[in-house]
Amino acid sequence: MLSIAGLSGVVSACKPLAKTLTLPTANNTGSVSPTGTETRTLTATQIEESVTPGKASVTPQSPSSTPTLQPTASQAYMAVIHGTDPSQITIAALAALGGMERFVASGDDVIIKPNICTDYYSYEYAATTNPTVVATLVQLCLAAGAKRVRVMDQPFAGKAQTAYARSGIADAVAAAGGEMEFMDRNKYVTVPIHDGLDLKECTFYKPILDADIVIDVPIAKTHNLAKLTLAGKNLLGTIANPGQMHSNLGQRIADLVSHVRPKLIVVDAVRMLMRNGPTGGNLDDVNLANTVIASHDIVAADAFAASLFGMQGNDISYIKAAAARGLGTMDLSSIKIEEISY
Amino acid sequence: MKAMSWRRLRIASQVIFLLVFLFLFWVTQQPASSSILSSLFFYLDPLAVAIIAITTRTILLVFSLALLSVVLTLVFGRVWCGWACPLGSVLGWIKPRKRERLQNKPSENLRRIKYVLLLVILIAGAFGIQFLFFLDPITLFNRLLSQSVWPAAQSLVNDAEVYLYRFDSLWNILDKIHAIFVYPVFQERVSHFYLAVPTLLLFGLLLGLNWAAERYWCRYLCPLGGLLGFLSRFSLLRRNVDDACISCQACARACPTGTISSKDFHSDPAECVVCYDCITTCASNANHFEWQFPKWKPAVKEAYDPGRREVLLGLGAAVGTVALAGAEPITRRQPATLIRPPGATEDSLASECIRCSQCINVCPTQGLQATVLEGGWQNLFTPQLIPRLGYCDYNCQACTQVCPTEAIPSMTLEEKRATTIGLARVDRNRCLPWAYNTPCIVCEEACPLPDKAIKLQVDDVLDPGGNPIILQRPIVLKENCIGCGVCEHQCPLGGEAAIRVYTPTPFIPTNYSSG
Repeated sequence: MLSIAGLSGVVSACKPLAKTLTLPTANNTGSVSPTGTETRTLTATQIEESVTPGKASVTPQSPSSTPTLQPTASQAYMAVIHGTDPSQITIAALAALGGMERFVASGDDVIIKPNICTDYYSYEYAATTNPTVVATLVQLCLAAGAKRVRVMDQPFAGKAQTAYARSGIADAVAAAGGEMEFMDRNKYVTVPIHDGLDLKECTFYKPILDADIVIDVPIAKTHNLAKLTLAGKNLLGTIANPGQMHSNLGQRIADLVSHVRPKLIVVDAVRMLMRNGPTGGNLDDVNLANTVIASHDIVAADAFAASLFGMQGNDISYIKAAAARGLGTMDLSSIKIEEISY
Repeated sequence: MKAMSWRRLRIASQVIFLLVFLFLFWVTQQPASSSILSSLFFYLDPLAVAIIAITTRTILLVFSLALLSVVLTLVFGRVWCGWACPLGSVLGWIKPRKRERLQNKPSENLRRIKYVLLLVILIAGAFGIQFLFFLDPITLFNRLLSQSVWPAAQSLVNDAEVYLYRFDSLWNILDKIHAIFVYPVFQERVSHFYLAVPTLLLFGLLLGLNWAAERYWCRYLCPLGGLLGFLSRFSLLRRNVDDACISCQACARACPTGTISSKDFHSDPAECVVCYDCITTCASNANHFEWQFPKWKPAVKEAYDPGRREVLLGLGAAVGTVALAGAEPITRRQPATLIRPPGATEDSLASECIRCSQCINVCPTQGLQATVLEGGWQNLFTPQLIPRLGYCDYNCQACTQVCPTEAIPSMTLEEKRATTIGLARVDRNRCLPWAYNTPCIVCEEACPLPDKAIKLQVDDVLDPGGNPIILQRPIVLKENCIGCGVCEHQCPLGGEAAIRVYTPTPFIPTNYSSG
């Protein structure tokens, strides 16, 4: 109960921030009230610089052919933000990328895919995505004009209802104005993956394929087969039969990424699960890293997250396979990373 | 109030009780269901409460509900059967079109059966064998709903959805129907029961007996009916026939329990369920329900009323039941594949489980199933976990909360998480990494224990193509495993899983002498 109370405090605290964010989009930057904190100033400036070019590059196309949203010269390729307030660092990360408006156009149907793998433990145990990070993204999307923001995952143990509640995400998303959706078993469709090297067809949750934008919000944690569960692995929750992925996992995840193509990746490394993943249950296994990583490039985001575990992109089969497919870059020295600490 | 109004009121009462029963059945399935509310009907059932009080050795305030039933019976007679019992109502409504034949009706002596059954249940129950409690009408009806009717309805709705969701254009409206109706009713449950058909057949048999005699079950067999019938012999309100009677036999034909004599039209208060059918059919207004004071005395003894012979028979059968139960191998050793709910043992189930099906109904994964002979006949219809159908959710202790007896002891979530119900074993002849050198860690991934009861051993092996690979192979840490069965449930192998949960195997000291 304590954690939920603390959480709702954080969520309500970040509401005014989200409102400040909406102002620049109305071409009304001059009226931004002097907030006095570094974050807010930064946020407003970043958005002012970037909102227009970002929106121009959004084109509604089928997922497999949508180009990734390349940043303009003033926008960071990747944002890595450190700080103790998950809401603040999430907002700052998006600001560094050019604001949520770069990704979400007015009237968009947005699906946020966190990792809610089981109903075993609350978010403190770092097996499920931080609720404040998710809720903040919901608010940013709504502030950017999204028509609808849905949050969903498909737990492999426990019911979605109990898992959503246990993770703290249900309450946080509801408070932020988003919807939790139960992934109905009847709404999956089998489609060919034209670019698939190993996975030639797959059964997806159709609303995820139909959404204007999918935001992939994994929590950084360990997994014995994949080594790490990051944004690529998190997409297993978009398909009907994740079990089929377990052989040749790396290539199959890369094929999956090529079809789903989430436009925005926000890796939650506020709490990282260092051992006994993906389910956790031991606070000693949790490392409070107070970091979020955001990028349009799933390979780069995952490669950076891997570095937090002392690994490289090359060590993780699916990151390597996705990079080989040209789905992003894992050469972190070649990209513009905006790293800020609060 | 006119007789017809009383009859209407009786029917309304039956409908309301049935709807309340259905509502409470549904309430039980909700994530945060209250045990008292969801077991309300069992607390209204004096037979169940008698056994609950004996087995738990406690008296709860809620037991006064059963006392209410007893008092109502002592005042009004078997109104429980005629006005409230959901099984009695359904059996009373579904009956042959033709009215009761007054000739060729089953022998009145059959009415004894219910008294003998009642005696066996009470005596065997006091000695710790609740086997025959599956014949209690509330448990019968709850079993029918939880394992047969509800899962069938759920499957029908699910099939309809699967069909309709093929048409993309219908998705918007189907989503609305699903959100407003389907989800609140069924909560995405997927239920499969081995006893779905046998339970329905048992109910069908009881229904079919209606064609031999209306409300056959209530007249001749129901042990709760026997208890309430016995009390009704002392009731204050009873049916009388006065001199206006023209001997038309209409009441005798109308009586659903067949207790009205076709000769002198008297009836046995122990058999009468106060349905008012006799009064509404009476042409001469000669049937009445009348208060028996000031000159009250117990009902006249009927030929079939239990006497010394029935008591001795009941006692003998109960002692025989208890004695034979002790001779079953189950009392020596638990079968390897019989996984019980947390905290429940063969002993606690045999002696305390009233077969109410509440645990089976509440289980969110629907992995709890009723046994047939797996636990010996004395454990008929007691709960067992079949992990392939549903695992014991690490985040749930619902069955320990709804059990009205202590057969499944009440636990906090922390206590339940620390309760071992089984032990997983890897079948290395079938497991993908062990038998085929193929990577798979699904069981380890799903293991809910903070320190994982399944660890991965790393081996250098050749893959099926002959290439050297590093392979992770699951091994179970005996000390950590609680037997929840999520590994067995998730094992991707077809058919039987390559990791199975067996009965926990503590070291049993043998009689071999050391040295």
